[in-house]
Amino acid sequence: MPLDRDVLWYKDAIIYQVHVRTFQDSNGDGIGDFQGLERKLDYLQELGINAIWLMPFFPSPLRDDGYDIADYSSVHSSYGTLEDFRKLLRSAHDRGIRVIIEMVLNHTSDQHPWFQESRSSRDNPRRDWYVWSDTDRRYEGTRIIFLDTEKSNWAWDPISKSYYWHRFFSHQPDLNYDNPAVREQMWNLMKFWLEMGVDAFRLDAVPYLVEREGTNCENLPETHSVLKELRRKLDEQFPGRMLLAEANQWPADLRPYFGDGDEFHMAFHFPLMPRMFMGLKLEDRKPITEILQQTPEIPPTCQWSLFLRNHDELTLEMVTDIERDYMYDVYAEDKTMRLNLGIRRRLAPLLDNDRRRIELMNGMLMSLPGTPIIYYGDEIGMGDNINLGDRNGVRTPMQWSGESNGGFSTSNPEFLYAPLIQNPVYGYPAVNVLSQRESGHSLLSWMRRIITVRKSSAVFGRGSIEFLYPANHRILAYVRRLGNEAVLVVNNLSSTAQAVELDLRRYKGNILIEMSGKNMFPRVGDLPYLLTMGPYQFYWFRLRRV
Amino acid sequence: MREMITSELIQALHELARGFAHFLPRLIVMLILAFVGWVIAYVVKVVLRSILRLIKFDKLSENAGASQLLSKAALPSATEVVSRFVFWVAWIGFILLGVSVLGILGLQEQIARFFIFVPRLFVAMFILFLGLLSASFFSRAALLAAVNANVPSPRVLSLAIRSIIIVFVLSIVFEELGLAEQTMLVAFGIAFGALMLGLAIAFGMGGRDLARRFLEKKFVRARKDENEDELSPL
Amino acid sequence: MADETFLTDDFLRQLINVGEVDILVGLPTHNNAKTIGSIVHAIQSGILRWFPRDRAVIINADGGSRDGTTELVKGVSIDDARPASNLYALRTMHAISTIYAGSPESGVALRTILAAAELLRAKACVVMSPESSSIEPESLSKLLGPIYRDGFDLVTPTYRRHKFEGLLITNLLYPMIRALYGVRIREAYTSDFGFSGRLGSQFLGQNAWNDGTGGAGVELRFTLAAITGGYGICQSFLGERDHIERRAADLVPALRQTVGALFSALEPDFPVWSVVVGSQPVATTGADHEVLLEPMRVNRKRLREMFSTGVAELANVFQSILSPSTMVDLQRIASLGDEEFQYPAELWVRTVYEFAASYQKSVISRDHIIQALAPLFRGRAFTFLMENRNCSAEEVENNIEGLCLEFERLKPYLLQMWKSRE
Repeated sequence: MPLDRDVLWYKDAIIYQVHVRTFQDSNGDGIGDFQGLERKLDYLQELGINAIWLMPFFPSPLRDDGYDIADYSSVHSSYGTLEDFRKLLRSAHDRGIRVIIEMVLNHTSDQHPWFQESRSSRDNPRRDWYVWSDTDRRYEGTRIIFLDTEKSNWAWDPISKSYYWHRFFSHQPDLNYDNPAVREQMWNLMKFWLEMGVDAFRLDAVPYLVEREGTNCENLPETHSVLKELRRKLDEQFPGRMLLAEANQWPADLRPYFGDGDEFHMAFHFPLMPRMFMGLKLEDRKPITEILQQTPEIPPTCQWSLFLRNHDELTLEMVTDIERDYMYDVYAEDKTMRLNLGIRRRLAPLLDNDRRRIELMNGMLMSLPGTPIIYYGDEIGMGDNINLGDRNGVRTPMQWSGESNGGFSTSNPEFLYAPLIQNPVYGYPAVNVLSQRESGHSLLSWMRRIITVRKSSAVFGRGSIEFLYPANHRILAYVRRLGNEAVLVVNNLSSTAQAVELDLRRYKGNILIEMSGKNMFPRVGDLPYLLTMGPYQFYWFRLRRV
Repeated sequence: MREMITSELIQALHELARGFAHFLPRLIVMLILAFVGWVIAYVVKVVLRSILRLIKFDKLSENAGASQLLSKAALPSATEVVSRFVFWVAWIGFILLGVSVLGILGLQEQIARFFIFVPRLFVAMFILFLGLLSASFFSRAALLAAVNANVPSPRVLSLAIRSIIIVFVLSIVFEELGLAEQTMLVAFGIAFGALMLGLAIAFGMGGRDLARRFLEKKFVRARKDENEDELSPL
Repeated sequence: MADETFLTDDFLRQLINVGEVDILVGLPTHNNAKTIGSIVHAIQSGILRWFPRDRAVIINADGGSRDGTTELVKGVSIDDARPASNLYALRTMHAISTIYAGSPESGVALRTILAAAELLRAKACVVMSPESSSIEPESLSKLLGPIYRDGFDLVTPTYRRHKFEGLLITNLLYPMIRALYGVRIREAYTSDFGFSGRLGSQFLGQNAWNDGTGGAGVELRFTLAAITGGYGICQSFLGERDHIERRAADLVPALRQTVGALFSALEPDFPVWSVVVGSQPVATTGADHEVLLEPMRVNRKRLREMFSTGVAELANVFQSILSPSTMVDLQRIASLGDEEFQYPAELWVRTVYEFAASYQKSVISRDHIIQALAPLFRGRAFTFLMENRNCSAEEVENNIEGLCLEFERLKPYLLQMWKSRE
């Protein structure tokens, strides 16, 4: 199945986020690789997704799970060769699956040759490729992102006897984007991958590209210029490719990253995600509707990217103190689960393995405006291991079957890059793809069905959203519209059965057709439309006027 | 000659005896009725007395002020009075019934009139009782209200209301009994009118201040009359 | 479950939308637009400050206001349909309003609030009076805290008052309830109080609105129900009780709501209060009471006059109610001059107890008995004013304490009267 030529393909995409290392090991060394992933493309196609986002696979000392890059134009030997990657690309495209890869613009590993050169002496030609200073008082007041491990944004380099700037780990020095050589080189590297056939880049940590004294060094206009320049070149030379921004900011601060449709195509809607979890616990739609009310309009070619969980912690940076305390108390009572102002747990454990809640959250993910991203393993309800340090607890091997190593690898279990989840509830004998495939009632089967329903209408990816505000605050209801098509989505956020009256006067005369069973519900009349909902239940209704 | 007188005499005696023989059974019936009537009336009296005691009739009549009237007239308690009254009415009723059996002309009509009269008598007594009760209640209510509103001469007001109600009730009673209806009505009309006129004059002249204060309270809310603080009881 | 058919369909629908709550604030109103604004904002702040994570609702039971009171209450709700720009709240907070049928004195407002509390399964509730303009956000915490956190069932307020305010409470209600029920609650009749859902349900089930008293004084009956039911009661100091404009003419309705309710409760509560001896203090947060000593000019002469007038004009009525010896004593003091006039504590207690006993027997219409008490109370008020006009706060309190002990001492007299005419 060839790829469609639509330049706005990302609006209809359903993205699967996966790390090569975690998915499938083809050569028995205990580490997932490209060939293994290639073998599992059928599974992904069956699931219904049409894009995969690969976590960083460039050569790296792996001190930040690959986000510390030592070579931008190769692949890490553990995962295979560049040729393996090319083959993967082709196989994916053959199945109609696009490939999104990571490009870490802001910083490199301190093992990267550029930094080695840069730090060797103050006169080195690459000296200016990084941000050096004789004092650590510059850019004072800039917040520290990895609060749990770093005490300062400056690190002392004993070799060149000066400080270098790093917004993340101290072994990830920031590149200097005021240097045109840096900008040029980064584009060339992106070009390298684009020519190979990569469909899109997720640009990591973009708010922090440029620093200026007297600012908080985030979201500066200079940063936007750099990004716009990249986009311009992309549009010129590679139309139909996509740039996805990773910028953990308030919606109003995110808006500039879309520019006038001349910067990023997509950006993650970070503030929405914790509020979905919050609304669920509060049994109140208010946090969700409020953040979306505050979300600004974006240019018509742009798209939000929505997700429930990812490889990082469930970040609570973009919530108020009261909200953070509340989230900690209800979702992470055990303090070891808390990290860097976030909670490092997978979807299923966060929701107490409650199937109804998992379905509801996925339902909202698929019906709110934006492109949904599914984190690998969440489609079968995998668990986590908080005893693995940092955020590795949510990056354990994919569980394919109940056989040894969960079907992930033929190696000895001790050689696995990370131990498998083994407890009776989430362990691989209980939670795996094979057994869920057999069962029509499994979470996997359900995910396939809902993805099918989602793809049956363009209204979810491309339509507008209008919230209804029924007096029952436990019900989140909205209408998605695109042209003549309209879909009513009603979600019960409460753990108890609810009755709700919806004001559907605008849609009077429409028959409601429930989208998964295709059965008719009563027509909308003059009176408020009464629905009764079971705990955590949701409906998607197509509004049909005959 | 002697034989004719004797036979006439005997015939007359026979007739007398026959007449007597006709009459005697009826007399006996009448006496029986009277006796039975006495028994029934007595039973009714006892039952009624128990019922009245049960509903604390004495207390009600005390409320009505009837007890005071009775004790002034040196009569026994209301329960007793009513029970005995009913007893006598019942017994007389039976006696009259017996008399009517005797078939004495002229009396029939009167007896019939009696039996028509009795129910109305009871109704009238009932109305009177209720009237006394309500007069007592309303006059006391007026008294309390007047005292608490610091109205001058509260007892006069109370008495006035009581009188009006009693006079009104009496006129209804008399009308019910059919005694001198017209007279009573006219008399009531005159009395009521006079009373009202008198009150109007008295209140009009003496109550000027009160009226003014009342109107002020109603329409001039914002005034704090005495420049002294008022206490709130709660 | 009590009879909820008196709730309108529309109100029921609103309750369905509110769903289960943790905290319920009841506001009975009737044309209170002048004061209600600051009160509901204080309540809103109180909830956001002290109970930000809890599900809360404000229930306004309105008697048919024409001045926009209900709009002011509803305007304080927090929901996403009308985002309030400067307010931060974790949750939706509902503020709903319903109009009840009946007069404000009928107690239907409280009944509506209790029914709503039961249907919404509220854990802790508070009722606030729309006339208290001294309500602050802290008041909510003071009235709800003991219930929500410490497990009490009823929280009554205590106030800082002028020593001459609230004489009906200090001279009758407080001492009598203390003596009979054995509990030292200073404000048994109150329009600001907190209660647990448990107590609310129980009282609702007792159906005090259909037992012939016409619902008057249900607030007092509520407190008594808490006492007789053995519920946990505590008091909380709320600050100053502001001076609500009331006239002397309001005495009779006040008597109905308080003394009338108390007397009518004595009969069903007899098994409880007849065996109580002495009295126990109640757990109190903050001061038990506080007294302001500002000079206050009061129309004492009128009190004295109304007493004498009453005794003279109502002699017939009193004869049915009071014992002959009490009558004689009253007539004697009525004839005293202003300087020597004194309505001693012992006589007052006897008066009150005889009234209570007569009320129970219904010697005359019960409402008339209550009305007849008014002039006598005025006389007692006069005496209290005279005795305490130059006293310090402590001395005033001692005098009240003395009166309380007198009530306790003469309790057997009441019991004797109660049992004798049965």
